[in-house]
Amino acid sequence: MARTRRTDTDELPEAEAIRLAQQGNAPAFERLYRLHNRRVYSLCLRMVGNTAEAEDLTQEAFLQLFRKIATFRGESAFSTWLHRLAVNVVLMKLRKKSGTETSLDEMTEPDEESGGPRRDFGTPDLRLSGSIDRVNLQRAVEQLPPGYKAVFVLHDVQGYEHNEIAEIMQCSIGNSKSQLHKARMRLRELLHEAMRDKAREDRKAASAESGSED
Amino acid sequence: MATIACKEFTDRLDSWMGGDLPSDAQAHLRNCRNCRSLIEDLKAICTEASSWRAEEIEVPLRIWASLQSHLEQEGLIHENRPADAAKTIWFGGWLAALPRPALAGAYLTLLIAGAFALSRPINKQTNEARWLAASEDSTLPLRAQLTAEQDSFASFNNANPAVAASLNKNLAIVDNYIALCEKSVQEEPQNEVARDYLYEAYQQKADLLAQMTERGENNR
Repeated sequence: MARTRRTDTDELPEAEAIRLAQQGNAPAFERLYRLHNRRVYSLCLRMVGNTAEAEDLTQEAFLQLFRKIATFRGESAFSTWLHRLAVNVVLMKLRKKSGTETSLDEMTEPDEESGGPRRDFGTPDLRLSGSIDRVNLQRAVEQLPPGYKAVFVLHDVQGYEHNEIAEIMQCSIGNSKSQLHKARMRLRELLHEAMRDKAREDRKAASAESGSED
Repeated sequence: MATIACKEFTDRLDSWMGGDLPSDAQAHLRNCRNCRSLIEDLKAICTEASSWRAEEIEVPLRIWASLQSHLEQEGLIHENRPADAAKTIWFGGWLAALPRPALAGAYLTLLIAGAFALSRPINKQTNEARWLAASEDSTLPLRAQLTAEQDSFASFNNANPAVAASLNKNLAIVDNYIALCEKSVQEEPQNEVARDYLYEAYQQKADLLAQMTERGENNR
C-alpha cells in the first residue's frame, strides 16, 4: 500500500525536519537520520576501524542527538552539532577502551616518550609514495592517539575545514592545524615502521627459502 | 638566499599548511633530500586519505531499526503521527484539486479526523474502548455531512444517469471497503497495518468524490 506520508516527508528541508522532530514527529527523525547517517557512520568507522563498533557508535550519536534535539537553537550548523556529538561519543569509547580517563589535550598531545610524534627529519631510503594503500593507512590510523585520529579523519578523510573542525572539537583553528600536522607526522612514522617490518619479514622469508633450497 | 635547518623546517611546517612555502623553506627543500622526502610522504598520506571520501559506504539498515526502537521506548517519537508538513503538502494538493470549497472542506475535515483518529500515538495505557468511541464520535457527523454532499452531487448529475450509476457503484465499493477496514480497526485498534488500510480507504473515497464532483461540474 502506498505510503504518501513517507514520500512527502522524504522531501522535507532540514530546518523543517528539525522543527518537527522537536515536536516528536517520527518521520522527521527519520528524515534527519537519512540526511546525516552516511557521514556519521563513516566518521565512526574510520575512527574505530570496525563495523560492529561503528554501528553502535552511530546509533549512540543519533540517540544523544534526538534526546537533546529540543534544546537545539541553531547557534551552530546542525551538522556541526551532530558531528560534535559523534566525535565525543567516539572519543569517550576510545577513552574507555584504553582504560584511562584522559583530557582531550592528553589525547591529542601525548608526550614523546609515550608515543607522540618524534622529530624525524626524513628517511630517504624509504619513500611512502606509491606504497600506501587503504589497508596499511587504516592500520596506521587505528594506532593514532584518539584526538589526532579525530582531526585527521575529519580533515583529510571527510574534508572538513579547520574552522569547522575547531567548532566540532571546540578548540582553536591553530590547535586543529597543529594536531593535524602531528597526526600526519605520526602516521608517516607508523607507515615507515610497517614498511621496515615488512622488508625485514621479506628478507627472513627469502633467506629461509634459500636455506631450504641448499 | 637565506635557508633554514631541518629542525626549523619541520617545526614550522604546520604553520604553512594549506599555503605556499616561504622562500627560505623553499631554498631549504631544494638542498635537502630528507625534507623533500618528508613533504612527498605527507602528500601521499593526504592523497590516500582523501580517496576514502569517494568510497561508497553502505550504512546498515539495522542501525535505524534499532535506533527507532530506542526512541519509541524512551517516548521520544510518536510513531504514527503524520508529519505536519506532509499534511500541508498533501492537503495543499487537495485544495487545488477540488472544485468546490464547501465539498473540499468536508473532505478535508473527514481526512483530518481520519488522520487524527488513526495517528494518535500508541500508548500502552490507552483505553481501547475510549479510543474507539472517540473515533466514532468524531467521524459520524462527518460521514453524515459527506452523505449530504453526495446527495447534492446526485442532483446535478441526473443529466447523465448512466455515468452517475457507474460512479455510485464505485462509491459503494469504496464504502464497503471502508466498512471492512473500520471493522478490522475496531477488532485490533493497535494494529498499524489495519489503521493504514483504513486511512488509505478514506483517501480513496475522497479521491472518488473529487472525481465525481468534477464530472458533475463538467456535465452542468
